[in-house]
Amino acid sequence: MTMSRILSLAFACLAVASVTSAHARDVDHERLSRSLSQLEADPKLGGFALGEVTRARAALQALEENSKRKLRDHLLYVAERRVDIAWAAAQVADVQRQTGDLRREHDRLQLAVARHEADVARRELERQRMHDQIRAEETERLAEAARLASEQEATAALEEADQARRLAAAQAEEAALARREAQLAGATADALRARLNPPQATRGDRGMQMSLDANAFATGGATLKTEARESIAAVVAFVDRDPSARIVVEGHTDSTGSTSANQALSQRRADAVRATLEGAGVDAARITTIGVGSERPVASNETAEGRSRNRRVDIILEQKQ
Amino acid sequence: MTPSLAKIHVVVLVSTLLLAACGPTKPPPDVLGEATRKLAEARAGEAATYAPLEVRFAEERLDAASSAMAERDYDVAARLAAESTVNSELAIVKSRLGKAREDVDTLRQDNARLLEGLPESARPAGGAP
Repeated sequence: MTMSRILSLAFACLAVASVTSAHARDVDHERLSRSLSQLEADPKLGGFALGEVTRARAALQALEENSKRKLRDHLLYVAERRVDIAWAAAQVADVQRQTGDLRREHDRLQLAVARHEADVARRELERQRMHDQIRAEETERLAEAARLASEQEATAALEEADQARRLAAAQAEEAALARREAQLAGATADALRARLNPPQATRGDRGMQMSLDANAFATGGATLKTEARESIAAVVAFVDRDPSARIVVEGHTDSTGSTSANQALSQRRADAVRATLEGAGVDAARITTIGVGSERPVASNETAEGRSRNRRVDIILEQKQ
Repeated sequence: MTPSLAKIHVVVLVSTLLLAACGPTKPPPDVLGEATRKLAEARAGEAATYAPLEVRFAEERLDAASSAMAERDYDVAARLAAESTVNSELAIVKSRLGKAREDVDTLRQDNARLLEGLPESARPAGGAP
């Protein structure tokens, strides 16, 4: 009886141990299977490492089908590693996917950097081009200004030279005019001298006499011209012929103008002749001056020639009584 | 064939089978080859750096498999070699994972550096993942 109980107890223990061992093995299998299921359901890793997952499933299948304890430990060891490999391989695939994304992003960024650098270089080139253009335009502007200034200077020089030429021409013309004027003046003087040829002594009613025509005086005046020197000298020589004779100096005019004015003018001319004679050494006591005016013409006052002859100063040496 | 000759044939066949069953077991071909190659592959992939524990397990099991082979315990040797192989494979995958993560870190840093050097207007649409 006792032996029978002992055997029964031992058998029960063996049964319990067998059940417990089987349960533990089921737990391991279930743990690994659940891990694989989690991997397959993982939203990020689920689609990766399908080959490794399959191999892990096969390992789990082998574990499930084998009942030998010693072999099961080996199969469990292998299955655990297969599940780990499946997880790691899925993570590798996921990280490689990230690597691909990052490489594409890297390429995009490198392209953007290259574009940006090209843009910067293009802007720098554009800035440099603008700078060069501005400098070229400035240089061109300065050259143009210099050219214009040079042209203006040349024009001014030409104008100055032209003015100088014109001035020289004007001066030459002025000189020529002066020469002509001098020639004309000389000619006039010659003509005057010709008109003022030393007067000739003639015998008149009151004795010998000489006449100075109106050309010996300034027009409308009573001042003797210098051109009348020779005539005066002739008159002086004439009155010195007879130093004792009295000298009557009579001034005459043409009929142009008023009588009183003509008389006054003829008187002043006669006085001028007397003063000249006195200046030449003729005794003033011998001289008498009379302003006759236009009362005693020697020619017609109707013609210019006649009026010229009537404008005169007569110097008369009175005969002794 | 006579009955005596048939008996002789049976005796010879049985003897031959008995001799074959009682003779020494030949080792399976290339039991350690796969494990050795995988371990070498793991080492070449710098698994000692990225998965040192798995490499050590693979080495220990390969050594034990070699010992079992020396003792002609081929079943044990085959199981240990398989465990060494699977450890080497795990080491290889972990090495790949470690390197891939390093590549990701390097790329992220490079991308951040490139992005930092770009003005806002020149940055591409989207951004780093």
